[in-house]
Amino acid sequence: MNTLVGFIKKEFAQILRDYRMRALLFVAPLIQLTLFSVAISNEVKNIRLAVIASPQDEIANLVTRKAAASGWFIMVEQDNAVEPFELVRSGRAEAVLVAPPGGFTEAYVRDSRPVQLLVDSTNVLRGQQVDNYVQAIFRAAVKERFPVLGPQAGVPIEFDVRILYNPEMITSVFMVPGVMSLILCLLTIVLTSMAITREKEMGTFETLVAAPVSTTEIILGKTVPYIVLGTLDSVLILTFAILVFGVPQKGPLIILIFSMFVFICATVAIGTFISTISKTQQQAMLGGFLFLFPAIQFSGLMFPIENMPIYMRFFSAINPLSYFIVLQRNIMLKGGDASIILKNLAALVAIGVVMIAISFTRFKKKLS
Amino acid sequence: MSGVEGGPNYSVEVEGLRVQFGDFIAVKDISFNVNAGEIFGFLGANGAGKTTTIRVLCGLLEPNLGDVRVMGLNPKQGLDAIKSRVGYMSQRFTLYDDLTVDENLSFAASLRKLTREKFSRRKKDLLEFIGFERPLNTLVKNLPGGLKQQVSLCAATLHDPDIVFLDEPTAGVTPTYRARFWSLIRSMAASGKTVFVTTHYMDEAEQCDRIALMRDGSLIALDSPGGLKRSTFPEPIYEISSSREKLDEFWFESIKKRPEILKIQPHGLRYHAQLSKGVVEGQLRELVSSGCVVRVIPPSLEDVFIRLVEGGLP
Ligand SMILES: Nc1ncnc2c1ncn2[C@@H]1O[C@H](COP(=O)(O)OP(=O)(O)OP(=O)(O)O)[C@@H](O)[C@H]1O
Ligand SMILES: [Mg+2]
Repeated sequence: MNTLVGFIKKEFAQILRDYRMRALLFVAPLIQLTLFSVAISNEVKNIRLAVIASPQDEIANLVTRKAAASGWFIMVEQDNAVEPFELVRSGRAEAVLVAPPGGFTEAYVRDSRPVQLLVDSTNVLRGQQVDNYVQAIFRAAVKERFPVLGPQAGVPIEFDVRILYNPEMITSVFMVPGVMSLILCLLTIVLTSMAITREKEMGTFETLVAAPVSTTEIILGKTVPYIVLGTLDSVLILTFAILVFGVPQKGPLIILIFSMFVFICATVAIGTFISTISKTQQQAMLGGFLFLFPAIQFSGLMFPIENMPIYMRFFSAINPLSYFIVLQRNIMLKGGDASIILKNLAALVAIGVVMIAISFTRFKKKLS
Repeated sequence: MSGVEGGPNYSVEVEGLRVQFGDFIAVKDISFNVNAGEIFGFLGANGAGKTTTIRVLCGLLEPNLGDVRVMGLNPKQGLDAIKSRVGYMSQRFTLYDDLTVDENLSFAASLRKLTREKFSRRKKDLLEFIGFERPLNTLVKNLPGGLKQQVSLCAATLHDPDIVFLDEPTAGVTPTYRARFWSLIRSMAASGKTVFVTTHYMDEAEQCDRIALMRDGSLIALDSPGGLKRSTFPEPIYEISSSREKLDEFWFESIKKRPEILKIQPHGLRYHAQLSKGVVEGQLRELVSSGCVVRVIPPSLEDVFIRLVEGGLP
């Protein structure tokens, strides 16, 4: 009877027998994903927008129409008697787009662009999003009115590049891949490190090493089940994200799943390493979280890596999350660029190999 | 098996074994042999170094000094050869509580890389051997402690080892299950396996062929239970009891001071006494009142160990 197969059967039996584990593996990720996405969509909906322009202004009318059609905006009645600033101050509008004298169309054609956009930024995050959304709508309107000129011909407001790949302006589309990687990372690192330390804590580890099994067999035996579970889980989360949240999956599916697999191998390797430096399950759990918090901070999920000081970027360079988030967003949202995929995959492989090599030597030293 | 041709047949040979944890010497240059097929009791107080010695013999720990041979094999020539001929039931959990009996056994079989046929044959034999009658899909955590240890013995001997190391297999087990476990140990030894067992129970030690006694990392005695008793107490022990009068504190205090009495200790309502050199039984009878019964008794192993351990103190 094969040792590795025996390990896989045993770990699966232990994990799947425990209903808390089943919930943690198969329900919690979906709930997390849902909560996150709902929170996001609440934030960007119901933007109260006012457009101050003459009723004949074609671009202004297009903006109004598009904004209303998008479902994200509530149009505020145009009222020339009220100052634009007063509209925002009183809270009647969150964003006011003010046409220059002569109207938007005129300003665009003549290349004079004093277009004013007032945004209520009491909530900075929401303010930024509102800003982005209005700009995107405006841009779309201009493009529709002057299709030949193209976007480079001079658009009055600067755009955030990130929206380019998320034209539907659903933030969750951008965030979901990040959240998926986070959930996977949490599962694999914490589960793997705890599964190994549990054997040490209980004393069953002695029984393992009393049998004529090699270090490789023990390490594989304790990691392969979690790689399999993690990969199954990633497919589940992915399916859920695509079917329920409509996250696009533009790149080749097989490459996406392969990247997930490589990422899971790397994080399981980190979990194994954590188990070699902890004696109890509690220490392992703590070690896992001590790794995860900075890993999330320096992943580029919430704050762009380019904005970090140089010495902090070092952490992103050794952080599997940052590579995987790039990979996943690139494949799912952009369709996948070969050089970006290869570069980030190589980094993940390197992290995994280094971690497993360290764990291997530490294991071996401890056993003898 | 092992040993020089025509020489004695040993399952375990230990020569000058030393194990050190940092500056602390847990096992201090001990030497002993275990005969093939015997029940070898390994005794000693907590922290004496029993588990440490066993871990070396099972190939789990590398000794700092000394030579070890198990089934004639030297650990330096490869641990796997030793591990495949040794069964080990450690002092801590050896089974997974959240797995069934069957799952535990089949995991043990895959660790030992048994063939499917050998596994099902051994499983059947061993479960018959321990008389296991519950469903095989019972979770181990739902078994009584004594039964768990029996299943654990099955898991440890699934690969049919020549020697089994049992580290306190009956700790925390009810007397009925202890007796049952020892009958299993005896049948295993009878079938030719060597059993190396540690225990804190004296009645279990009595059932060993030979006993090694450890104290603070040193081996201070090694003999059969009878031999240990004879060598530790060459002079007879007298039991003094009385059905008529009460042998109270005052009586004890006064007789203790007599020069004829070397040592006297209360044992329940009776007393155990040893006489000074040259004093004979008749003198003791004269010393105690006529209502007392005086008879020679064999020393218990407990007496032996108390004396050995105390006697060695500075
Ligand atoms: N890995 C270790 N590191 C440091 N000290 C250790 C280690 N293992 C055992 N010791 C120490 O070595 C001594 C002997 O321990 P050992 O477990 O062999 O005793 P024991 O005779 O089996 O005791 P018990 O009856 O409690 O099981 C103890 O003082 C213990 O604290
Ligand atoms: Mg012990």
